[in-house]
Amino acid sequence: MTTLFKRSLIGLALAGSTALPALAEDISWIYCGDRIDGVHEKYIAEWNAANPDFQVKPELVGWAQCQDKATTLAAAGSPVGLAYVGSRTLKEFALNELIVPVPMTEEEKAAYYPHIVDTVTFQDTQWGVPVAFSTKALYWNKDLFKAAGLDPETPPKTWAEEIEFAKIIKEKTGTPGYGLSAKTMDNTMHQFLHWIYTNNGKVIDAEDNIVLDSPENLAALQAYKDITPYSVEGATAYEQNEMRAIFLDGKVGMLQASAGTATRLAETDINWGVTTLPLGPSATGPGTLLITDSLVVFAGTGVEEKATEFAKYITSPDIQIQYEMSPDAGLTPLRPRPEVEELVKNTPFWKPYIDGIEYGGPEPLFTDYKGLQNVMIEMVQSVVTGAAEPQAALTKAAAALEEYK
Amino acid sequence: MIKSRSAMIFAWALLAPAILYVLIIVAWPLFETFRLSFTDASLRKVVNYVGWRNYEKIFNETFLTVITRTFIWTFFSVLLKMIIGMCGAVLLNASVPGRNIFRILTMPPWIVPMAIGIFMWGWMYNGQFGMISGLLQRFGLTDGPVAFLAYGSTAFWATIVTDVWIGVPMVTIYFLAAMQAIPKDLYEAAWTDGAGRWTRFRRITLPLMAPAIITMSMLSLIATFNSFDIIWILTQGGPSGQTTTMIIDTYNTAIGSKKYGEGAARAVVICLFLSMFCIAYFRIVRRLADPGKA
Repeated sequence: MTTLFKRSLIGLALAGSTALPALAEDISWIYCGDRIDGVHEKYIAEWNAANPDFQVKPELVGWAQCQDKATTLAAAGSPVGLAYVGSRTLKEFALNELIVPVPMTEEEKAAYYPHIVDTVTFQDTQWGVPVAFSTKALYWNKDLFKAAGLDPETPPKTWAEEIEFAKIIKEKTGTPGYGLSAKTMDNTMHQFLHWIYTNNGKVIDAEDNIVLDSPENLAALQAYKDITPYSVEGATAYEQNEMRAIFLDGKVGMLQASAGTATRLAETDINWGVTTLPLGPSATGPGTLLITDSLVVFAGTGVEEKATEFAKYITSPDIQIQYEMSPDAGLTPLRPRPEVEELVKNTPFWKPYIDGIEYGGPEPLFTDYKGLQNVMIEMVQSVVTGAAEPQAALTKAAAALEEYK
Repeated sequence: MIKSRSAMIFAWALLAPAILYVLIIVAWPLFETFRLSFTDASLRKVVNYVGWRNYEKIFNETFLTVITRTFIWTFFSVLLKMIIGMCGAVLLNASVPGRNIFRILTMPPWIVPMAIGIFMWGWMYNGQFGMISGLLQRFGLTDGPVAFLAYGSTAFWATIVTDVWIGVPMVTIYFLAAMQAIPKDLYEAAWTDGAGRWTRFRRITLPLMAPAIITMSMLSLIATFNSFDIIWILTQGGPSGQTTTMIIDTYNTAIGSKKYGEGAARAVVICLFLSMFCIAYFRIVRRLADPGKA
């Protein structure tokens, strides 16, 4: 009986030891969205054909749950091979040793537009590979400009003009001049960061000092306050996509939005234009917040090396550009390439999205990005609802951020 | 003796799956939450025991405001559900033509998937496209769009209204069933003695429905106190945290900020409140079942 028991145990151990490597060599990939992009599908198949021992298995997860699922699995000790996450989480993941570094060569870094690599860099190393990139530009409704007596072909170039034009539109047409969104959503922080980066501002510096309470950022928050009376009523009820819906309905004069808006506008009767974001008094050139999503490689899977290799493969310049050029993607290209020049030539609305990159800034990296987000949202909401003055809100937020850096 | 022992074993065998289920699904997560609440569990791999620190940390001014807000939110929501549910039950109990159709029409808020119902209300509250703002403007009651979810005061009431809309059908149907169980001859005797409608309602319907009202209030209190979906979908606790209730705060801490230890401490506090409600509920049910002991 004892012998039988021992043999059974040895048998089980052997079975386990032979089965485990086969399981471990799957590279599971949490893929955000409701379908796998055709370009990715094609190259995953190619990778799998070339690497029979390291099969990439993507798992589709809706955007709302995607990041939380990857994080929770990693925190619970059963990480996936790689996942698609907002680059703002990289510092938090790295400090908690959930992900492994994905260092880039100088050649790889140089291939990107300026500052893109900064969005995935922490402690002088890269912790993810950028896979999606978003910038913003300013849309204006030419019909409303005309109705308000403004030149429909001359968009605002500065914040002062933007506020003035919004005021004129509101007073002359009764339609809100600007679409300011300030709902309790992450993009409320992003919308405000675009103003910070069009006035040479920063939230945190390279030495991890909170520099939010600066004259540049105060000017941005003051401008937010000044444009609120001429914006869509109840800014705190709308997030950016809801505000976009109002713009697409012709009920707002100006809006800062992503490139996908142009595609949607093509299906409307609105006469529109798009330009770089207006600049604050301290700006040195056209700016925008640079938001990237990255592929991160989780630690403790046993396939980190191959997962890193795959992440670099699927985001390699030739494949990435195909993904970015997919009609549905609406992504700002990550690297300057001939295809991008062709894109701008054929679809000029892309130009301001590319022009804003040079003076843009990366999303700030914090150890608790949700904490950062909540503080920034609270700051913006308190100003647009009139609950606080810009300087007081800025000082309070700067102090609160110390806990999360 | 042998027979009773085997009967006992058989009984335990029948109970075993249910006991196992409760242990795995209820007891273990509860124990784990309690244990986590004394740690600094987060994304970090090292977890330290921190004693009562999480509890000391959460009982600050902000959390006390959140607790107060949760009680106010729950109070008004339950109160409105009871009042509207009672009115609905009285109307559905009345002998009017097409009564069955009215009964069916009560059900949609209950039948429609909750998330869809909440999104529908979200659109109704929208200042630019929303029906409510549109009607107010059309009737000249406001001079422009009103975004109900934009301001703390209106957003707070908007979430209560949505919760009431979702909760009323169940209350109505429950009250209707209780109302129909009241013997008709009591009403006939009162009518013969000259009692009017209001007197009959006050002296017969309400006292005889007291057990149903108390039971429903307690059940509704427990469900409403823990209501997450409505506030999360409509406002995510905003603007400026003015619709943040305890459950939203707990979610933001544990899942949003990944402070699992602090989140667990908040969850334990919620659990304590709910336990008190449950104890009160069971005591009331026992008293109602055996009034002699009261």
